[in-house]
Amino acid sequence: MSDHGHDVSKDSPSGVSPQDGGARRQFLIRLGIGAGGVAIGAQSVASLRSLVPNVSYDAPTTVKLGNPVDFPDGLKFLPDERLFVFRTGKTFHAISAVCTHLGCTVRAEALSQVQETQVGGQAMRLTHRFNCPCHGSRYNGDGTTISGPAPKALAWYHLSVATDDGQLVVDLAHEVEHDFRLTIA
Amino acid sequence: MEKRTSSPYPSIDRPVLAAIGVVLVGATAFFAYSDRQHDYKWYQAEFRSQVAEKFGDEKAAGVRAGVQQVWIPGLQRADRCTTCHQAVAWKGFEDAEEPLRTHPPEILKAHPPERFGCTSCHGGQGWAIDTAAAHGEVAHWEEPLLSASLGDAYTMGTNKGALIQMNCNVCHRYERETPGAGMINRAKALVEEKGCRACHVINGRGGTIGPDLTAVGEKAPEQYDYGRLSGQQTAFAWHVAHLKDPRALVQDSVMPNFHLSTTDAQALSMLVLSWRPARMSADFIAGVPRADVQTAEQKRAEDEMKTGPGAWFVQTGCFVCHSIAALGVKSPAQIGPDLSTAVDDTQKRFGMTVDDFIMNPTGTMSVVLTRQIVLDTEQRKVAIQKLREAFAEHQKQQAAGAAGPAVVSHQPGS
Amino acid sequence: MKLPFIHRAPDEASAPGVHPTPFWSLRPRTDRESGDAVVSNFMLHWFPAKVYKPSLDWNYSFWLGTMSAALFLLLIVSGLPLLFLYVPSVERAYQSVKDIEYVVTFGWWIRAVHRIGAHLMVVAVVLHLVRVFLTGAYKNGVGAGQQREWNWVIGVVMLLLTLFLSFTGYLLPWDQLAYWAVTVGTNIASSVPFVGPEVRELMIGGRTIEQATLIRFYVLHCIMLPGALGVLFAYHMWRVRKDGGLARADRAAVLPAARTTAPVASKTYTLLGVARGTAPTVRTSSLDAPDLTVNAVPDLARRAMIVVLATFAIVSLMASGIPSPLEEPANALVTPNPAKAPWYFLWLQEIVTDTTIRIGSFTINGAFIGGVVLPGLLLTVMTAWPWLDRSPASAAGRWFPSDRRRQNQVFLLIVIVVLVFTVIGMFLRGPYWNLYWPWESWPDIPGRI
Repeated sequence: MSDHGHDVSKDSPSGVSPQDGGARRQFLIRLGIGAGGVAIGAQSVASLRSLVPNVSYDAPTTVKLGNPVDFPDGLKFLPDERLFVFRTGKTFHAISAVCTHLGCTVRAEALSQVQETQVGGQAMRLTHRFNCPCHGSRYNGDGTTISGPAPKALAWYHLSVATDDGQLVVDLAHEVEHDFRLTIA
Repeated sequence: MEKRTSSPYPSIDRPVLAAIGVVLVGATAFFAYSDRQHDYKWYQAEFRSQVAEKFGDEKAAGVRAGVQQVWIPGLQRADRCTTCHQAVAWKGFEDAEEPLRTHPPEILKAHPPERFGCTSCHGGQGWAIDTAAAHGEVAHWEEPLLSASLGDAYTMGTNKGALIQMNCNVCHRYERETPGAGMINRAKALVEEKGCRACHVINGRGGTIGPDLTAVGEKAPEQYDYGRLSGQQTAFAWHVAHLKDPRALVQDSVMPNFHLSTTDAQALSMLVLSWRPARMSADFIAGVPRADVQTAEQKRAEDEMKTGPGAWFVQTGCFVCHSIAALGVKSPAQIGPDLSTAVDDTQKRFGMTVDDFIMNPTGTMSVVLTRQIVLDTEQRKVAIQKLREAFAEHQKQQAAGAAGPAVVSHQPGS
Repeated sequence: MKLPFIHRAPDEASAPGVHPTPFWSLRPRTDRESGDAVVSNFMLHWFPAKVYKPSLDWNYSFWLGTMSAALFLLLIVSGLPLLFLYVPSVERAYQSVKDIEYVVTFGWWIRAVHRIGAHLMVVAVVLHLVRVFLTGAYKNGVGAGQQREWNWVIGVVMLLLTLFLSFTGYLLPWDQLAYWAVTVGTNIASSVPFVGPEVRELMIGGRTIEQATLIRFYVLHCIMLPGALGVLFAYHMWRVRKDGGLARADRAAVLPAARTTAPVASKTYTLLGVARGTAPTVRTSSLDAPDLTVNAVPDLARRAMIVVLATFAIVSLMASGIPSPLEEPANALVTPNPAKAPWYFLWLQEIVTDTTIRIGSFTINGAFIGGVVLPGLLLTVMTAWPWLDRSPASAAGRWFPSDRRRQNQVFLLIVIVVLVFTVIGMFLRGPYWNLYWPWESWPDIPGRI
């Protein structure tokens, strides 16, 4: 807006003072007008800073999931955390239910026949596979992709036992390798 | 192009415009500067340097900067207290000055901040991030921080830190006694002792001579008559004065003067003000049973099963599918056959002794004993022993009660 | 600074009716370009090419209309981030305003700019109306077909819209101040006989102020009312130009013309000659006289810029220094003491306090007399005044002309009464609407603990 003021004023005959130091005066005036324009711009941009959140209303990434003994053998789906928790006797692991393609929640489908494989160098019995309802991605029971647009395997998350009350704790910010197992004594 | 007419304006207006430009720059700098002035920045720097001093720079780097928040959707509370009170969960700052002191850990275990927040107990304004506003010492915030200095203002002496118990009792109001809430417990005992319920309804029970006190804590401070009250004009001060001498405040009151001590009056005032209708889910209310209620008969039967001669079968989990009628154990599901006659049954059903069957089960039991009820060899021996005892008891009952009604129909192959 | 895509070579041809550059040129090099510069220049259509010098005087119009427009622009701009940050739900509204105050970067400042801008806009619009009345600027001058009286009516409607915009915004923080100000305000509407309660029910979407009220006020505040005000603003400006500029400019035509014997050229104020019929015709001899007019660009544009930027600077500074209040969350169970309407309605609240009339057993609620009949009468007379004012055309565009002395005196008296009542309501009314002098302290507001 102040640019407008500049260009026009150059043409106006009485804008230039004939006095000594007129040029410096003109420069200061332009500086002032320009600074005003910059200030208005700065205020507008500053207002946009208000859209960057300073506090988070998201759910925390470290979540207590409950007592380990309450988890059934096999698979349990936790809709709040979008997480599959697997239990085999005393060992636990957790696989994300968030499709790596575009973030839909995959659904578990029980296999008619248990699959024995090596996962992360350990023997593992796969009882399920996962299908994504959005674009048809398919995953093995260990989260690795079978088909569809999903670019990579489902995430495995770090599990631990809370020191205070012994609940199972998942850290949704901490991805782990496929050989991760939590064994509870 | 048309020649422009001469104008007297630019020589005055352009400097004016330039001056306004300078003012705008000043205004912009002013508001940008004002936005950055917060006392938490100083406290966070102070805490970081204290951590560095105690635990080294590496730990200090982990101290979080900026506004911190605990958001409890269930209580609609966003508490930013830990923005300044950063040491709450740190060990080693037990003797530091507030706001950088460790929170007593025992109470936090039962009331984790991520579930209850800070202001549920302490009061104050969780939304705010500057000291005065956050501690509620500002206009238009009616929940001040229930601090010791506030207790001092009410001359509560050794109990000056007890005001916070008011907030304990918002959730714990249905408990007879709450550990740690001495003043509230004292007041609850006084309610029974003085017989307040003779005239007042409290929690839905009591007489109707006086007003219902169930939600009296929610009564607005403006709705009390302070005409005869000297000193602080607050609902709390009103209650203390009124409890000590009802007629001094309400001339035609029929409430007797119980000649309460100041401490007793203060304790009762705290209790009375804590009686607020809780706008929170039952998850947060202590003492509310969140389980199906059993009848006394059901409970007695269950206790008998758990402690009676068949206790082993209950603890191990056999009773989920099997009744053991001879030992008084009744299965809720009754999927499998009664185990009173298992010693006999295994021969008929599987053609093997009970010893062989337990050690090498077939069919459903092979799955159950490898997946659901995992027993090692020692435990299996115990199982066999218990089954034999049950069978012995069954035979004894058969012999003794041939005349009585048969407890279990006993047909081969059933 | 010459960007190649903006400045095309002047010899490049373009089809008739096609403007060859993305923007207009400030330094036309061909006749075609200079013609285009006029045709496509927004500023030149907002402003006339030339303006009558005295119309630019600071002390004639005080630029109050420009100031109001600048504030309206500022309110729209500052409202945009608030639209992202505010949640119009009874559960979340108060919290979201607390967040804007405490943890949104510059949130407190944006809210304060919006609030102070809104208050100042009410002030500026009212002062603009006072100025227009006192100078008789709603009067038609010498131009044939002028319809300034209708622009006055538009202006009155815009004042009402401004008040209603401010009033709807008042509720949004969902605090005690908001809740009870709107309670008092809408109950004045319900005192209209027969239809009042229905009007109030329609306005607040029920019988109590609840979620339905909040969302109604929100949509009115953010979409309907600004849209209506924007449209009327455009029409208001257009009419100002169609009526030949400020009323003061008419006086140029009233001055003795240089040559009265020969036929003079006349100039019709139309948009490129397209509009017909109602455009005023003014003798060009006086308007084009070099000593009476200046080019609108840059002289008018620069002054408008001064006013707009100065308004922004004042609001910005005030917003940094004056915190915006946010009282306790709205509570239908507790009426604050005292409960006051927004300040621009306080003169009405003051009047309704004293206008309940009892004749025997027959009682008329003061809200009806003071809140509906009296302001309704004032509004009607004010709207119709251009047709009731019988003073000569020469009285237009002057401060305190002697032939309008009587009506200006009465008008000023009413303004002063309203002002005095407003000041009493704002500063002298305490708990239970008792009078307190400024040096008397109010009784302490009791707290809980």
